[in-house]
Amino acid sequence: MTLTSPSAPTSAPSSTADSISIRGAVKIYGSGASQHVALQNVDVDIKRGQFVSIIGPSGCGKSTLLRLIAGLETADSGTAEVFGVTPERACAAKMIGLVPQAPALLPWKDVLGNVSMPAKVNRRADKLRRRIHGHLERPAPDMLDLLGKAGLTDAVHKLPAQLSGGMQQRTAIVRAFGVQPDVLLMDEPFSALDEFTRESIQEQLLDIWDENKTTVVFVTHSVSEAVRLSDKVLVMSARPGRITASVDITLPRPRSQAMLKTAEFHHFEDVIRDHLQTAWQENPITGSTPIPAGAAQ
Amino acid sequence: MSVMTEPATIQESPVTAPAAPPAQKSATKSGLPKQLGFLRPAYWLPLAVLLVALGFLWTITAADSPYLLPPLASVGEALAANPGFYLSNAWATLAVALVGLAIGFVASFILAVLVSELPIARRAIMPIAVVLSVTPLVAIAPALVVAFGFGPEPKLIVTALICFFPILINVATGLRSVSPAVLQVFTTLHASRLEMLWHVRMPSALPYLFTALRVVFPLSIIGAVVAELSAPGAAEGLGTVISVASSNNRLAVVYAAILCLAIMGSLLLLIITAIEDRVLHWHESRQGATS
Repeated sequence: MTLTSPSAPTSAPSSTADSISIRGAVKIYGSGASQHVALQNVDVDIKRGQFVSIIGPSGCGKSTLLRLIAGLETADSGTAEVFGVTPERACAAKMIGLVPQAPALLPWKDVLGNVSMPAKVNRRADKLRRRIHGHLERPAPDMLDLLGKAGLTDAVHKLPAQLSGGMQQRTAIVRAFGVQPDVLLMDEPFSALDEFTRESIQEQLLDIWDENKTTVVFVTHSVSEAVRLSDKVLVMSARPGRITASVDITLPRPRSQAMLKTAEFHHFEDVIRDHLQTAWQENPITGSTPIPAGAAQ
Repeated sequence: MSVMTEPATIQESPVTAPAAPPAQKSATKSGLPKQLGFLRPAYWLPLAVLLVALGFLWTITAADSPYLLPPLASVGEALAANPGFYLSNAWATLAVALVGLAIGFVASFILAVLVSELPIARRAIMPIAVVLSVTPLVAIAPALVVAFGFGPEPKLIVTALICFFPILINVATGLRSVSPAVLQVFTTLHASRLEMLWHVRMPSALPYLFTALRVVFPLSIIGAVVAELSAPGAAEGLGTVISVASSNNRLAVVYAAILCLAIMGSLLLLIITAIEDRVLHWHESRQGATS
Protein backbone atom coordinates (compact mmCIF):
# COMPACT_ATOMS: atom_id res chain seq x y z
CA MET A 1 0.00 0.00 0.00
CA THR A 2 1.59 3.24 -1.05
CA LEU A 3 0.03 6.61 -0.95
CA THR A 4 1.23 9.65 -2.77
CA SER A 5 -0.09 13.11 -2.16
CA PRO A 6 -1.40 14.83 -5.29
CA SER A 7 1.64 17.07 -5.54
CA ALA A 8 4.29 14.41 -5.06
CA PRO A 9 5.60 12.70 -8.18
CA THR A 10 3.90 9.39 -8.75
CA SER A 11 6.31 6.53 -8.69
CA ALA A 12 5.77 4.20 -11.59
CA PRO A 13 4.14 0.97 -10.42
CA SER A 14 6.52 -1.95 -10.86
CA SER A 15 3.87 -4.58 -11.44
CA THR A 16 0.14 -4.21 -11.00
CA ALA A 17 -0.63 -7.87 -11.55
CA ASP A 18 -0.57 -8.43 -7.83
CA SER A 19 -2.47 -5.40 -6.64
CA ILE A 20 -5.43 -3.18 -7.22
CA SER A 21 -4.05 0.05 -8.42
CA ILE A 22 -5.67 3.39 -9.07
CA ARG A 23 -3.57 6.19 -10.51
CA GLY A 24 -4.56 9.84 -10.67
CA ALA A 25 -8.27 9.09 -10.66
CA VAL A 26 -10.48 12.11 -11.20
CA LYS A 27 -14.25 11.95 -11.16
CA ILE A 28 -16.41 15.02 -11.46
CA TYR A 29 -20.19 14.99 -11.32
CA GLY A 30 -22.25 17.79 -12.82
CA SER A 31 -20.89 21.00 -14.20
CA GLY A 32 -20.78 24.73 -13.46
CA ALA A 33 -22.02 25.81 -10.04
CA SER A 34 -23.38 22.38 -9.16
CA GLN A 35 -20.07 20.73 -9.99
CA HIS A 36 -19.00 18.17 -7.46
CA VAL A 37 -15.48 16.77 -7.44
CA ALA A 38 -16.03 13.24 -6.16
CA LEU A 39 -12.42 12.19 -6.65
CA GLN A 40 -9.44 14.48 -7.14
CA ASN A 41 -6.26 12.83 -8.26
CA VAL A 42 -6.62 9.76 -6.11
CA ASP A 43 -3.87 7.14 -6.02
CA VAL A 44 -4.49 3.82 -4.33
CA ASP A 45 -2.57 0.59 -4.17
CA ILE A 46 -4.08 -2.44 -2.50
CA LYS A 47 -1.97 -5.57 -2.30
CA ARG A 48 -3.43 -9.01 -2.74
CA GLY A 49 -4.84 -10.47 0.43
CA GLN A 50 -5.18 -7.14 2.21
CA PHE A 51 -8.33 -6.04 4.00
CA VAL A 52 -8.57 -2.32 3.32
CA SER A 53 -11.28 -0.04 4.62
CA ILE A 54 -12.15 3.35 3.20
CA ILE A 55 -13.66 5.73 5.72
CA GLY A 56 -14.80 9.30 5.44
CA PRO A 57 -17.76 11.65 5.71
CA SER A 58 -20.70 11.46 3.33
CA GLY A 59 -19.89 12.70 -0.13
CA CYS A 60 -16.15 12.15 0.16
CA GLY A 61 -16.18 9.87 -2.85
CA LYS A 62 -15.53 6.58 -1.05
CA SER A 63 -18.40 4.84 -2.82
CA THR A 64 -17.30 6.36 -6.10
CA LEU A 65 -13.84 4.90 -5.52
CA LEU A 66 -15.38 1.50 -4.91
CA ARG A 67 -17.58 1.75 -7.99
CA LEU A 68 -14.50 2.66 -10.00
CA ILE A 69 -12.83 -0.59 -8.96
CA ALA A 70 -16.05 -2.47 -9.68
CA GLY A 71 -16.18 -1.10 -13.19
CA LEU A 72 -19.58 0.43 -12.48
CA GLU A 73 -18.15 3.85 -13.24
CA THR A 74 -15.26 5.13 -15.30
CA ALA A 75 -12.90 7.86 -14.18
CA ASP A 76 -12.82 11.16 -16.05
CA SER A 77 -9.05 10.78 -16.04
CA GLY A 78 -6.59 8.38 -14.48
CA THR A 79 -6.48 4.62 -14.57
CA ALA A 80 -7.85 1.76 -12.54
CA GLU A 81 -6.43 -1.73 -12.68
CA VAL A 82 -7.54 -4.82 -10.84
CA PHE A 83 -4.66 -7.29 -10.65
CA GLY A 84 -3.28 -6.18 -13.97
CA VAL A 85 -6.50 -5.91 -15.98
CA THR A 86 -9.16 -3.25 -16.40
CA PRO A 87 -12.18 -3.40 -14.08
CA GLU A 88 -14.39 -4.33 -17.04
CA ARG A 89 -12.20 -7.29 -17.88
CA ALA A 90 -12.03 -8.25 -14.22
CA CYS A 91 -15.84 -8.31 -14.16
CA ALA A 92 -15.92 -10.39 -17.33
CA ALA A 93 -13.69 -12.92 -15.56
CA LYS A 94 -15.81 -12.77 -12.38
CA MET A 95 -12.82 -11.56 -10.41
CA ILE A 96 -14.95 -9.09 -8.48
CA GLY A 97 -17.51 -9.88 -5.80
CA LEU A 98 -19.80 -7.00 -4.85
CA VAL A 99 -21.73 -6.67 -1.59
CA PRO A 100 -23.90 -3.58 -1.84
CA GLN A 101 -25.48 -1.67 1.01
CA ALA A 102 -28.84 -3.37 0.46
CA PRO A 103 -28.57 -7.18 0.34
CA ALA A 104 -29.93 -7.18 -3.23
CA LEU A 105 -31.14 -10.77 -3.11
CA LEU A 106 -33.60 -12.22 -5.58
CA PRO A 107 -36.84 -12.58 -3.58
CA TRP A 108 -38.08 -15.61 -5.56
CA LYS A 109 -34.95 -17.67 -4.89
CA ASP A 110 -34.21 -19.30 -1.57
CA VAL A 111 -30.88 -18.72 0.15
CA LEU A 112 -29.15 -21.55 -1.71
CA GLY A 113 -30.64 -20.40 -5.00
CA ASN A 114 -29.41 -16.88 -4.41
CA VAL A 115 -25.84 -17.82 -3.55
CA SER A 116 -25.71 -20.22 -6.52
CA MET A 117 -26.89 -17.53 -8.91
CA PRO A 118 -23.45 -16.09 -9.82
CA ALA A 119 -22.39 -19.50 -11.13
CA LYS A 120 -25.36 -19.54 -13.51
CA VAL A 121 -24.55 -16.34 -15.33
CA ASN A 122 -21.52 -15.49 -17.47
CA ARG A 123 -20.26 -19.03 -17.73
CA ARG A 124 -17.45 -18.00 -20.04
CA ALA A 125 -15.72 -16.31 -17.11
CA ASP A 126 -13.97 -19.51 -16.00
CA LYS A 127 -12.20 -19.80 -19.33
CA LEU A 128 -11.28 -16.14 -19.32
CA ARG A 129 -9.96 -15.97 -15.79
CA ARG A 130 -7.46 -18.76 -16.43
CA ARG A 131 -5.86 -16.57 -19.05
CA ILE A 132 -5.55 -13.59 -16.73
CA HIS A 133 -2.14 -13.49 -15.12
CA GLY A 134 -3.31 -11.62 -12.03
CA HIS A 135 -6.07 -14.07 -11.25
CA LEU A 136 -5.46 -16.50 -8.44
CA GLU A 137 -7.25 -19.77 -9.17
CA ARG A 138 -8.94 -21.34 -6.20
CA PRO A 139 -11.21 -24.35 -6.05
CA ALA A 140 -14.91 -23.52 -6.22
CA PRO A 141 -16.23 -23.47 -2.68
CA ASP A 142 -18.91 -25.82 -1.40
CA MET A 143 -21.85 -23.47 -1.04
CA LEU A 144 -23.51 -25.41 1.76
CA ASP A 145 -20.25 -25.41 3.66
CA LEU A 146 -19.85 -21.67 3.16
CA LEU A 147 -23.45 -21.06 4.21
CA GLY A 148 -22.76 -23.10 7.32
CA LYS A 149 -19.79 -20.94 8.19
CA ALA A 150 -21.98 -17.90 7.83
CA GLY A 151 -24.46 -19.47 10.24
CA LEU A 152 -27.11 -19.99 7.58
CA THR A 153 -27.44 -23.78 7.74
CA ASP A 154 -31.04 -23.60 8.93
CA ALA A 155 -31.93 -20.95 6.40
CA VAL A 156 -30.68 -22.70 3.26
CA HIS A 157 -34.18 -23.23 1.87
CA LYS A 158 -35.76 -20.06 3.18
CA LEU A 159 -36.79 -17.16 1.03
CA PRO A 160 -35.18 -13.75 1.61
CA ALA A 161 -38.48 -12.34 2.92
CA GLN A 162 -38.34 -14.93 5.70
CA LEU A 163 -34.90 -13.80 6.87
CA SER A 164 -33.79 -11.03 9.18
CA GLY A 165 -31.72 -8.17 7.80
CA GLY A 166 -28.55 -9.69 9.21
CA MET A 167 -29.22 -13.06 7.62
CA GLN A 168 -30.00 -11.40 4.29
CA GLN A 169 -26.72 -9.53 4.36
CA ARG A 170 -24.81 -12.69 5.28
CA THR A 171 -26.42 -14.40 2.30
CA ALA A 172 -25.20 -11.54 0.11
CA ILE A 173 -21.68 -11.98 1.51
CA VAL A 174 -21.70 -15.73 0.85
CA ARG A 175 -22.96 -15.03 -2.67
CA ALA A 176 -20.02 -12.67 -3.26
CA PHE A 177 -17.49 -15.15 -1.83
CA GLY A 178 -19.01 -17.96 -3.86
CA VAL A 179 -17.41 -17.04 -7.18
CA GLN A 180 -13.96 -17.05 -5.51
CA PRO A 181 -13.37 -13.47 -6.54
CA ASP A 182 -9.94 -11.91 -6.43
CA VAL A 183 -11.40 -8.93 -4.66
CA LEU A 184 -14.49 -8.45 -2.55
CA LEU A 185 -15.95 -4.95 -2.73
CA MET A 186 -18.23 -4.09 0.17
CA ASP A 187 -20.14 -0.81 0.17
CA GLU A 188 -21.27 -0.07 3.74
CA PRO A 189 -22.77 -3.55 3.94
CA PHE A 190 -23.61 -3.43 7.63
CA SER A 191 -24.83 0.14 7.92
CA ALA A 192 -28.49 -0.87 8.09
CA LEU A 193 -27.97 -3.45 10.84
CA ASP A 194 -28.27 -2.99 14.58
CA GLU A 195 -25.17 -2.94 16.75
CA PHE A 196 -25.38 -6.56 18.00
CA THR A 197 -26.04 -8.04 14.59
CA ARG A 198 -23.30 -5.88 13.15
CA GLU A 199 -20.65 -7.11 15.57
CA SER A 200 -21.43 -10.77 15.12
CA ILE A 201 -21.61 -10.46 11.35
CA GLN A 202 -18.21 -8.74 11.42
CA GLU A 203 -16.89 -11.73 13.29
CA GLN A 204 -18.28 -14.12 10.69
CA LEU A 205 -16.89 -12.05 7.87
CA LEU A 206 -13.46 -12.23 9.51
CA ASP A 207 -13.83 -15.99 9.98
CA ILE A 208 -14.55 -16.54 6.31
CA TRP A 209 -11.89 -14.03 5.29
CA ASP A 210 -9.26 -15.73 7.47
CA GLU A 211 -9.73 -18.88 5.43
CA ASN A 212 -9.85 -17.32 2.00
CA LYS A 213 -7.65 -14.24 2.45
CA THR A 214 -9.50 -12.65 -0.40
CA THR A 215 -8.56 -9.03 -0.98
CA VAL A 216 -11.32 -6.89 0.51
CA VAL A 217 -12.12 -3.23 -0.08
CA PHE A 218 -14.60 -2.18 2.55
CA VAL A 219 -16.37 1.17 2.58
CA THR A 220 -17.71 2.19 5.97
CA HIS A 221 -18.90 5.06 8.14
CA SER A 222 -17.88 3.38 11.34
CA VAL A 223 -14.44 3.94 12.87
CA SER A 224 -14.55 0.88 15.11
CA GLU A 225 -15.74 -1.31 12.24
CA ALA A 226 -12.83 -0.11 10.11
CA VAL A 227 -10.29 -0.74 12.89
CA ARG A 228 -11.63 -4.15 13.72
CA LEU A 229 -11.72 -5.51 10.19
CA SER A 230 -8.83 -3.90 8.38
CA ASP A 231 -5.14 -4.25 7.75
CA LYS A 232 -5.20 -0.72 6.46
CA VAL A 233 -7.64 2.17 6.75
CA LEU A 234 -7.77 4.91 4.14
CA VAL A 235 -9.24 8.15 5.46
CA MET A 236 -10.97 10.28 2.87
CA SER A 237 -12.11 13.84 2.93
CA ALA A 238 -14.79 15.59 0.93
CA ARG A 239 -14.87 18.56 -1.44
CA PRO A 240 -12.82 17.56 -3.26
CA GLY A 241 -12.85 13.86 -2.56
CA ARG A 242 -9.32 12.75 -1.74
CA ILE A 243 -7.38 10.39 0.50
CA THR A 244 -5.89 12.30 3.42
CA ALA A 245 -4.35 9.53 5.47
CA SER A 246 -3.50 5.86 5.46
CA VAL A 247 -3.37 4.04 8.78
CA ASP A 248 -1.92 0.57 9.20
CA ILE A 249 -3.85 -1.41 11.77
CA THR A 250 -1.23 -3.63 13.36
CA LEU A 251 -3.55 -5.35 15.81
CA PRO A 252 -3.02 -9.12 15.87
CA ARG A 253 -5.54 -11.47 14.27
CA PRO A 254 -7.89 -13.11 14.86
CA ARG A 255 -9.62 -10.11 16.35
CA SER A 256 -12.13 -11.21 18.89
CA GLN A 257 -15.05 -9.35 20.40
CA ALA A 258 -12.92 -8.82 23.54
CA MET A 259 -10.31 -6.88 21.61
CA LEU A 260 -12.84 -4.10 21.02
CA LYS A 261 -12.31 -3.00 24.63
CA THR A 262 -8.51 -2.96 24.68
CA ALA A 263 -6.39 0.18 24.82
CA GLU A 264 -4.65 -0.68 21.55
CA PHE A 265 -7.96 -0.87 19.78
CA HIS A 266 -8.98 2.53 21.18
CA HIS A 267 -5.64 3.94 20.18
CA PHE A 268 -6.29 3.11 16.53
CA GLU A 269 -9.81 4.45 16.76
CA ASP A 270 -8.44 7.73 18.13
CA VAL A 271 -5.83 7.98 15.39
CA ILE A 272 -8.47 7.58 12.71
CA ARG A 273 -10.86 10.00 14.41
CA ASP A 274 -8.06 12.57 14.56
CA HIS A 275 -7.41 12.13 10.86
CA LEU A 276 -11.10 12.50 10.08
CA GLN A 277 -11.25 15.64 12.17
CA THR A 278 -8.13 17.14 10.61
CA ALA A 279 -9.49 16.42 7.17
CA TRP A 280 -12.68 18.17 8.12
CA GLN A 281 -10.92 21.25 9.51
CA GLU A 282 -8.64 21.56 6.51
CA ASN A 283 -11.65 21.60 4.29
CA PRO A 284 -11.86 25.01 2.62
CA ILE A 285 -15.65 25.06 2.71
CA THR A 286 -16.61 23.43 5.98
CA GLY A 287 -13.40 24.25 7.85
CA SER A 288 -15.11 26.60 10.29
CA THR A 289 -17.22 23.83 11.75
CA PRO A 290 -14.98 21.08 13.08
CA ILE A 291 -16.63 17.72 13.32
CA PRO A 292 -17.28 16.58 16.89
CA ALA A 293 -15.21 13.62 17.94
CA GLY A 294 -16.81 10.40 16.91
CA ALA A 295 -19.53 11.98 14.81
CA ALA A 296 -18.04 10.56 11.67
CA GLN A 297 -19.00 7.07 12.67
CA MET B 1 -22.64 -15.98 16.55
CA SER B 2 -25.39 -14.43 18.59
CA VAL B 3 -27.45 -13.75 15.48
CA MET B 4 -27.93 -17.47 15.15
CA THR B 5 -30.56 -17.26 17.82
CA GLU B 6 -32.83 -15.31 15.51
CA PRO B 7 -36.38 -16.52 15.77
CA ALA B 8 -37.08 -19.53 13.63
CA THR B 9 -40.79 -18.94 13.61
CA ILE B 10 -40.90 -18.17 9.95
CA GLN B 11 -42.20 -21.08 8.00
CA GLU B 12 -40.40 -23.18 5.42
CA SER B 13 -42.92 -22.59 2.73
CA PRO B 14 -45.85 -20.22 2.69
CA VAL B 15 -48.05 -22.78 0.99
CA THR B 16 -47.96 -25.34 3.75
CA ALA B 17 -47.86 -23.83 7.20
CA PRO B 18 -45.98 -26.26 9.44
CA ALA B 19 -45.10 -23.84 12.21
CA ALA B 20 -48.60 -22.43 12.57
CA PRO B 21 -50.45 -23.39 15.72
CA PRO B 22 -52.31 -26.65 15.16
CA ALA B 23 -55.68 -25.09 15.90
CA GLN B 24 -55.18 -22.72 13.01
CA LYS B 25 -53.78 -25.25 10.61
CA SER B 26 -55.77 -28.39 11.01
CA ALA B 27 -59.18 -27.28 12.13
CA THR B 28 -61.29 -24.27 12.84
CA LYS B 29 -63.66 -23.89 15.76
CA SER B 30 -66.40 -25.80 13.97
CA GLY B 31 -64.00 -28.64 13.24
CA LEU B 32 -63.52 -27.82 9.58
CA PRO B 33 -60.07 -27.92 7.99
CA LYS B 34 -58.59 -24.52 7.24
CA GLN B 35 -59.01 -24.99 3.49
CA LEU B 36 -62.77 -25.41 4.02
CA GLY B 37 -63.04 -22.40 6.31
CA PHE B 38 -65.43 -20.80 3.87
CA LEU B 39 -68.07 -23.35 4.90
CA ARG B 40 -68.39 -21.58 8.24
CA PRO B 41 -71.65 -19.61 8.54
CA ALA B 42 -69.78 -16.46 9.51
CA TYR B 43 -68.13 -16.69 6.14
CA TRP B 44 -71.08 -17.20 3.80
CA LEU B 45 -74.04 -15.93 5.80
CA PRO B 46 -73.68 -12.18 5.06
CA LEU B 47 -73.50 -12.91 1.35
CA ALA B 48 -76.42 -15.34 1.49
CA VAL B 49 -78.59 -12.82 3.33
CA LEU B 50 -77.80 -10.11 0.81
CA LEU B 51 -78.51 -12.46 -2.11
CA VAL B 52 -81.86 -13.47 -0.66
CA ALA B 53 -82.76 -9.81 -0.14
CA LEU B 54 -81.76 -8.93 -3.70
CA GLY B 55 -83.67 -11.92 -5.06
CA PHE B 56 -86.71 -10.76 -3.11
CA LEU B 57 -86.43 -7.23 -4.56
CA TRP B 58 -85.97 -8.69 -8.04
CA THR B 59 -89.04 -10.87 -7.69
CA ILE B 60 -91.17 -7.92 -6.52
CA THR B 61 -89.93 -5.75 -9.40
CA ALA B 62 -90.41 -8.54 -11.92
CA ALA B 63 -93.97 -9.22 -10.73
CA ASP B 64 -94.77 -5.51 -10.93
CA SER B 65 -93.18 -4.76 -14.31
CA PRO B 66 -92.06 -7.84 -16.26
CA TYR B 67 -90.65 -5.68 -19.09
CA LEU B 68 -88.00 -4.37 -16.63
CA LEU B 69 -86.83 -7.68 -15.21
CA PRO B 70 -87.89 -11.23 -16.05
CA PRO B 71 -89.06 -13.36 -13.11
CA LEU B 72 -86.15 -15.33 -11.68
CA ALA B 73 -88.04 -18.55 -12.26
CA SER B 74 -88.29 -17.81 -15.98
CA VAL B 75 -84.54 -17.24 -16.18
CA GLY B 76 -84.05 -20.60 -14.51
CA GLU B 77 -86.52 -22.20 -16.87
CA ALA B 78 -84.75 -20.72 -19.88
CA LEU B 79 -81.49 -22.23 -18.66
CA ALA B 80 -83.00 -25.57 -17.72
CA ALA B 81 -84.99 -25.92 -20.95
CA ASN B 82 -81.91 -25.84 -23.12
CA PRO B 83 -78.64 -26.11 -21.16
CA GLY B 84 -76.74 -27.37 -24.20
CA PHE B 85 -77.59 -24.19 -26.09
CA TYR B 86 -76.07 -21.96 -23.41
CA LEU B 87 -73.12 -24.25 -22.92
CA SER B 88 -72.16 -24.31 -26.59
CA ASN B 89 -72.60 -20.56 -26.95
CA ALA B 90 -70.65 -19.95 -23.75
CA TRP B 91 -67.91 -22.16 -25.13
CA ALA B 92 -67.86 -20.19 -28.39
CA THR B 93 -67.46 -16.92 -26.50
CA LEU B 94 -64.88 -18.38 -24.14
CA ALA B 95 -62.84 -19.72 -27.04
CA VAL B 96 -62.78 -16.29 -28.69
CA ALA B 97 -61.90 -14.66 -25.37
CA LEU B 98 -59.05 -17.03 -24.58
CA VAL B 99 -57.56 -17.15 -28.07
CA GLY B 100 -57.76 -13.35 -28.30
CA LEU B 101 -56.17 -13.11 -24.88
CA ALA B 102 -53.38 -15.46 -25.90
CA ILE B 103 -52.66 -13.42 -29.03
CA GLY B 104 -52.70 -10.19 -27.06
CA PHE B 105 -50.51 -11.70 -24.37
CA VAL B 106 -47.80 -12.96 -26.71
CA ALA B 107 -47.73 -9.73 -28.72
CA SER B 108 -47.71 -7.43 -25.70
CA PHE B 109 -45.14 -9.48 -23.81
CA ILE B 110 -42.70 -9.43 -26.72
CA LEU B 111 -43.26 -5.72 -27.14
CA ALA B 112 -42.80 -5.13 -23.41
CA VAL B 113 -39.41 -6.84 -23.51
CA LEU B 114 -38.46 -4.80 -26.57
CA VAL B 115 -39.61 -1.57 -24.97
CA SER B 116 -37.77 -2.23 -21.73
CA GLU B 117 -34.54 -3.24 -23.44
CA LEU B 118 -34.35 -0.62 -26.16
CA PRO B 119 -34.86 3.04 -25.23
CA ILE B 120 -35.51 3.83 -28.90
CA ALA B 121 -38.35 1.34 -29.02
CA ARG B 122 -39.71 2.73 -25.77
CA ARG B 123 -39.77 6.30 -27.05
CA ALA B 124 -41.42 5.22 -30.28
CA ILE B 125 -43.97 2.75 -28.98
CA MET B 126 -45.08 3.90 -25.56
CA PRO B 127 -46.81 7.17 -26.60
CA ILE B 128 -48.85 5.27 -29.18
CA ALA B 129 -49.61 2.57 -26.65
CA VAL B 130 -50.85 5.10 -24.12
CA VAL B 131 -53.05 6.91 -26.62
CA LEU B 132 -54.56 3.64 -27.86
CA SER B 133 -55.07 2.44 -24.33
CA VAL B 134 -57.27 5.43 -23.48
CA THR B 135 -59.22 5.01 -26.73
CA PRO B 136 -62.40 2.98 -26.08
CA LEU B 137 -61.46 -0.01 -28.19
CA VAL B 138 -64.98 -1.42 -28.10
CA ALA B 139 -65.82 1.44 -30.45
CA ILE B 140 -63.71 -0.02 -33.23
CA ALA B 141 -65.53 -3.35 -33.10
CA PRO B 142 -68.20 -2.30 -35.69
CA ALA B 143 -65.46 -1.02 -38.02
CA LEU B 144 -63.63 -4.33 -37.74
CA VAL B 145 -66.82 -6.22 -38.51
CA VAL B 146 -67.19 -4.12 -41.66
CA ALA B 147 -63.58 -4.91 -42.57
CA PHE B 148 -63.41 -8.60 -41.67
CA GLY B 149 -67.00 -9.80 -41.79
CA PHE B 150 -68.77 -12.06 -39.33
CA GLY B 151 -65.98 -14.56 -38.88
CA PRO B 152 -63.78 -14.88 -35.80
CA GLU B 153 -61.21 -12.28 -36.96
CA PRO B 154 -62.85 -9.08 -35.69
CA LYS B 155 -63.66 -10.75 -32.37
CA LEU B 156 -60.11 -11.95 -31.89
CA ILE B 157 -58.69 -8.57 -32.86
CA VAL B 158 -60.91 -6.67 -30.41
CA THR B 159 -60.18 -9.12 -27.60
CA ALA B 160 -56.46 -9.10 -28.28
CA LEU B 161 -56.37 -5.30 -28.43
CA ILE B 162 -58.29 -4.94 -25.16
CA CYS B 163 -55.86 -7.33 -23.42
CA PHE B 164 -52.83 -5.79 -25.06
CA PHE B 165 -52.25 -2.57 -23.20
CA PRO B 166 -52.68 -3.56 -19.57
CA ILE B 167 -50.14 -6.35 -20.14
CA LEU B 168 -47.74 -4.17 -22.13
CA ILE B 169 -47.69 -1.36 -19.59
CA ASN B 170 -47.49 -3.61 -16.53
CA VAL B 171 -44.83 -5.95 -17.87
CA ALA B 172 -42.73 -3.09 -19.23
CA THR B 173 -42.88 -1.48 -15.79
CA GLY B 174 -42.13 -4.78 -14.09
CA LEU B 175 -39.10 -5.52 -16.24
CA ARG B 176 -37.65 -2.19 -15.17
CA SER B 177 -38.55 -2.57 -11.50
CA VAL B 178 -35.29 -4.33 -10.58
CA SER B 179 -33.44 -2.49 -7.81
CA PRO B 180 -30.18 -0.73 -8.76
CA ALA B 181 -28.27 -2.79 -6.18
CA VAL B 182 -29.32 -6.07 -7.82
CA LEU B 183 -28.37 -4.68 -11.22
CA GLN B 184 -24.96 -3.68 -9.87
CA VAL B 185 -24.31 -7.15 -8.47
CA PHE B 186 -25.15 -8.76 -11.80
CA THR B 187 -23.21 -6.12 -13.73
CA THR B 188 -20.06 -6.91 -11.78
CA LEU B 189 -20.66 -10.58 -12.62
CA HIS B 190 -20.81 -9.51 -16.25
CA ALA B 191 -24.16 -11.22 -16.80
CA SER B 192 -25.33 -10.86 -20.38
CA ARG B 193 -28.50 -8.96 -21.21
CA LEU B 194 -30.25 -12.21 -21.96
CA GLU B 195 -29.18 -13.71 -18.63
CA MET B 196 -30.25 -10.55 -16.85
CA LEU B 197 -33.60 -10.71 -18.62
CA TRP B 198 -34.19 -14.37 -17.87
CA HIS B 199 -32.80 -14.62 -14.34
CA VAL B 200 -33.60 -11.18 -12.98
CA ARG B 201 -35.95 -9.01 -15.00
CA MET B 202 -38.62 -11.52 -15.97
CA PRO B 203 -39.15 -12.94 -12.47
CA SER B 204 -39.23 -9.36 -11.17
CA ALA B 205 -41.97 -8.60 -13.67
CA LEU B 206 -44.16 -11.56 -12.64
CA PRO B 207 -46.11 -9.71 -9.93
CA TYR B 208 -46.82 -6.94 -12.42
CA LEU B 209 -47.83 -9.48 -15.05
CA PHE B 210 -50.33 -11.10 -12.72
CA THR B 211 -51.80 -7.74 -11.77
CA ALA B 212 -52.41 -7.24 -15.47
CA LEU B 213 -53.78 -10.77 -15.95
CA ARG B 214 -56.31 -10.34 -13.17
CA VAL B 215 -57.65 -7.34 -15.07
CA VAL B 216 -57.27 -8.83 -18.51
CA PHE B 217 -58.90 -12.26 -18.02
CA PRO B 218 -62.35 -10.81 -17.35
CA LEU B 219 -61.66 -8.06 -19.92
CA SER B 220 -61.16 -10.69 -22.60
CA ILE B 221 -64.77 -11.81 -22.15
CA ILE B 222 -65.94 -8.22 -22.44
CA GLY B 223 -63.98 -7.91 -25.66
CA ALA B 224 -65.45 -11.07 -27.10
CA VAL B 225 -69.04 -10.14 -26.18
CA VAL B 226 -68.73 -6.61 -27.53
CA ALA B 227 -67.43 -7.95 -30.82
CA GLU B 228 -70.31 -10.46 -30.96
CA LEU B 229 -72.83 -7.72 -30.24
CA SER B 230 -71.39 -5.68 -33.10
CA ALA B 231 -71.70 -8.59 -35.51
CA PRO B 232 -75.39 -9.44 -35.26
CA GLY B 233 -75.21 -11.91 -38.09
CA ALA B 234 -72.67 -14.06 -36.29
CA ALA B 235 -73.72 -17.65 -35.75
CA GLU B 236 -72.86 -18.24 -32.14
CA GLY B 237 -71.61 -16.80 -28.89
CA LEU B 238 -73.40 -15.44 -25.85
CA GLY B 239 -73.15 -11.90 -27.25
CA THR B 240 -75.09 -13.05 -30.30
CA VAL B 241 -77.62 -14.83 -28.07
CA ILE B 242 -78.15 -11.61 -26.10
CA SER B 243 -78.53 -9.42 -29.16
CA VAL B 244 -80.95 -11.82 -30.89
CA ALA B 245 -83.00 -12.49 -27.75
CA SER B 246 -83.31 -8.83 -26.82
CA SER B 247 -84.53 -7.92 -30.28
CA ASN B 248 -87.17 -10.62 -29.79
CA ASN B 249 -88.08 -9.31 -26.34
CA ARG B 250 -87.06 -12.58 -24.70
CA LEU B 251 -85.74 -11.04 -21.52
CA ALA B 252 -85.39 -14.34 -19.68
CA VAL B 253 -82.92 -15.62 -22.31
CA VAL B 254 -80.96 -12.35 -22.16
CA TYR B 255 -80.53 -12.68 -18.41
CA ALA B 256 -79.72 -16.36 -18.64
CA ALA B 257 -76.90 -15.49 -21.04
CA ILE B 258 -75.73 -12.68 -18.76
CA LEU B 259 -75.68 -15.12 -15.85
CA CYS B 260 -73.51 -17.45 -17.92
CA LEU B 261 -71.11 -14.59 -18.68
CA ALA B 262 -70.91 -13.64 -15.01
CA ILE B 263 -70.09 -17.22 -14.07
CA MET B 264 -67.46 -17.45 -16.80
CA GLY B 265 -65.80 -14.22 -15.72
CA SER B 266 -65.75 -15.32 -12.08
CA LEU B 267 -64.27 -18.69 -12.98
CA LEU B 268 -61.52 -17.07 -15.01
CA LEU B 269 -60.73 -14.72 -12.14
CA LEU B 270 -60.65 -17.65 -9.75
CA ILE B 271 -58.30 -19.61 -11.99
CA ILE B 272 -55.87 -16.75 -12.50
CA THR B 273 -55.85 -15.95 -8.78
CA ALA B 274 -55.11 -19.58 -7.97
CA ILE B 275 -52.23 -19.65 -10.46
CA GLU B 276 -50.94 -16.37 -9.09
CA ASP B 277 -50.92 -17.76 -5.55
CA ARG B 278 -48.84 -20.69 -6.74
CA VAL B 279 -46.38 -18.76 -8.85
CA LEU B 280 -45.90 -15.77 -6.57
CA HIS B 281 -45.66 -17.61 -3.27
CA TRP B 282 -42.34 -15.83 -2.71
CA HIS B 283 -43.79 -12.36 -3.04
CA GLU B 284 -44.02 -10.09 0.02
CA SER B 285 -47.77 -9.77 -0.38
CA ARG B 286 -48.06 -13.51 0.32
CA GLN B 287 -45.53 -13.81 3.11
CA GLY B 288 -47.89 -12.52 5.77
CA ALA B 289 -50.97 -14.38 4.58
CA THR B 290 -50.01 -17.84 5.80
CA SER B 291 -47.93 -17.03 8.85
